[in-house]
Amino acid sequence: MRALVLDNEAVQALRDERHPKHRQVLAHLAGVLVRRRRGREVAVVVPTSVRVEAGWDRTRPAASAINRLRVADHTLDAGAANVAASIADELAVSVADAHVGAAVRSLPHDEVVVLTSDPGDITRVAGDRPVWPVRV
Amino acid sequence: MTELSVLDEINRLLDADGDATVNTSMRLPAALRDAAALAVQHLGIAGSTTSLTATALRRALETAVTEAALEGHFVAHPHARPSLAEVALALAAQDGSPLVDRPEVVERAAAQVVASHPEADADDVLLWAEAQLAVPA
Repeated sequence: MRALVLDNEAVQALRDERHPKHRQVLAHLAGVLVRRRRGREVAVVVPTSVRVEAGWDRTRPAASAINRLRVADHTLDAGAANVAASIADELAVSVADAHVGAAVRSLPHDEVVVLTSDPGDITRVAGDRPVWPVRV
Repeated sequence: MTELSVLDEINRLLDADGDATVNTSMRLPAALRDAAALAVQHLGIAGSTTSLTATALRRALETAVTEAALEGHFVAHPHARPSLAEVALALAAQDGSPLVDRPEVVERAAAQVVASHPEADADDVLLWAEAQLAVPA
């Protein structure tokens, strides 16, 4: 099982067809579908704090296209908030980055891949959890 | 309903509370039902034939609706459609494959594979590219 986690830059690129990395991020989602057609279980996840940072309000009509891509929310519930608070305190990162770290640490998948503009940050917030950051 | 509204309705239903169940009138081949029951009992592939069926159906629907959404987006924005080589490179990056640093190899493999297999996917391209790298020049 693999989880593909979207960081802020990936969401920005996905939302805007004029974004220079729009096509690149769509290639990653198309790749997810290739693997699913071959029987692999691949989830695509966005931490809700990343949605806040990227301005992705699912209720807005402008979000209808990205909503159709079935990117699942990783919510900042009580448990995730505790982990994220610890990460933010320890590493002095943003709430969104800390939430990415909390998501990476909690996902039950064997492989966690993060689409990000800053692979170094992802490795730091992931702590001991193996993670594969992919630069977009 | 237009196609987009169909996709939105399927997504709404997939995201809806799954506690409510219904006795369906769908007809399954008896042998398939029996095979599923045996697999659940002896191979442990799911907790029940019902969960096996529901999980498989959900996965198929989620993949189909995402594919349809992506394809609709590509029709509306043709410049956004990634090439076969670009999808293969994306998968190489997700896999941590060294091919991610050899885009020329992946692009050449994509061109070669589709020349004889027009329906090839990005994994076919990666396999062919890896095989080529493994063969001494």
